[in-house]
Amino acid sequence: MAEEGHSSGAGGIADHLHYWSYKFDDSNPFMQIHLDTMLTTILVATGLVIFAKWLGGRLTDGAPTGAQNFMESVVGFVDDTVKDNFPVHNPIIAPLALTVFIFIFLLNCLDILPAFLSGHIAGLFGLEHYRQVPTNDLNLPVAMAVSVFAMVLYYEFKLKPVHFCKELLLQPFASLLLEAKNPVVKLLGILLIPLNLTLKIVEELAKPLSLSFRLFGNMFAGEVIFLLIAFLLLGGGVVGMTAGFFVGIGWSIFHMFIGLLQAFIFMILTVVYLSIAHQPPEH
Amino acid sequence: MSIDLTFIGQIVVFLALLALLKKLLYGPLNELMEKRSAKIAEGLAAADAGKEAKAKADAEIAEQLKQARSSAQDILNAAEKRAAEIQEEITNKARNEARQLLEAAHEEMEAEVNRARQALRQEVASLAIAAAERVIDAELDGKRHTKLINDVVAQGFGNA
Repeated sequence: MAEEGHSSGAGGIADHLHYWSYKFDDSNPFMQIHLDTMLTTILVATGLVIFAKWLGGRLTDGAPTGAQNFMESVVGFVDDTVKDNFPVHNPIIAPLALTVFIFIFLLNCLDILPAFLSGHIAGLFGLEHYRQVPTNDLNLPVAMAVSVFAMVLYYEFKLKPVHFCKELLLQPFASLLLEAKNPVVKLLGILLIPLNLTLKIVEELAKPLSLSFRLFGNMFAGEVIFLLIAFLLLGGGVVGMTAGFFVGIGWSIFHMFIGLLQAFIFMILTVVYLSIAHQPPEH
Repeated sequence: MSIDLTFIGQIVVFLALLALLKKLLYGPLNELMEKRSAKIAEGLAAADAGKEAKAKADAEIAEQLKQARSSAQDILNAAEKRAAEIQEEITNKARNEARQLLEAAHEEMEAEVNRARQALRQEVASLAIAAAERVIDAELDGKRHTKLINDVVAQGFGNA
């Protein structure tokens, strides 16, 4: 946070919200890739894998110490969360929850670095922009949420295909009407099927949408507030610098808490959505 | 702030990380933790079994002690009874012996008395004969001398 003052206002903030991106096709906004997001996530993921490999080499089945102890408590916490929410055993759920939790938490933790630091470091290499927190990039939350949603759909279709299709077409209006003996009511039920389908699709799509936007919104807003603190206070002389420093530290601590909370929420919602998909159909 | 190819890239990164962490981090750790839980459960079960065995052994010891005590009591009782019997036997025997001794003494005394009487009688008879000889020597008067002889005899018996 302790960076030199930038006198410009909101325009300056917008300047700092650009990605280091590579455009494959200028006319198509989809055909570009955010190199900073990719690089940071790959670095963090590689670090995690190296850490896992290192830890795997020194695991002891006696009393755990240090890193093993810490990771065991994390794994135990995730296991408990999954066990509390899950009706059946599925070997992929707990590792998924663990990965979601650790990955998002570590990426959120990057926010503790000074807001302009990565930009300046990138500047040394001749880059114009570098966004240091990948969870601020909508692509990452959406990618994770869509992956989770794809798993939800996979399990819905795998475990209870008939029930799920019925729910898509007949809930919430048609199921009772179709059981009626009166042919007019029955016809009404059939006519309502498209409406049901629309409602159900909206309901299902809301899951990945809310999952991703919750994380993205929280982290993005956090970074914007860092930038605001930097722009509004650090430019205002000694008093402003001092105030900016302490406000920045306060917000930093609070933002760490938000980062942990968001990682936990993303994890628990992942588990809950998948657990709904695993619920046996009610009759 | 748009969805672009990064999205695809992030899915790849996320799924690759998921696979790697499952294999390298979650798998070994979870297996280890389960193994340890099983070990602890086993240890606790063994401790429980040991406790149970100890309680059983304690009960057995108490039972054996009780039995030993009761058999010791039995032996003691038998010994006391036997002692009392022996005592009574000895007492009876002593009593019998004493009685026999007493009886023997009585018999001897009686025999002695009889013997003395016999001797006395003989003495009296000889005395009487002596007296008679004396009387005969002096004067043998039937009436007077009969009284005299009788007197001597009575006197002799009276002294006996």
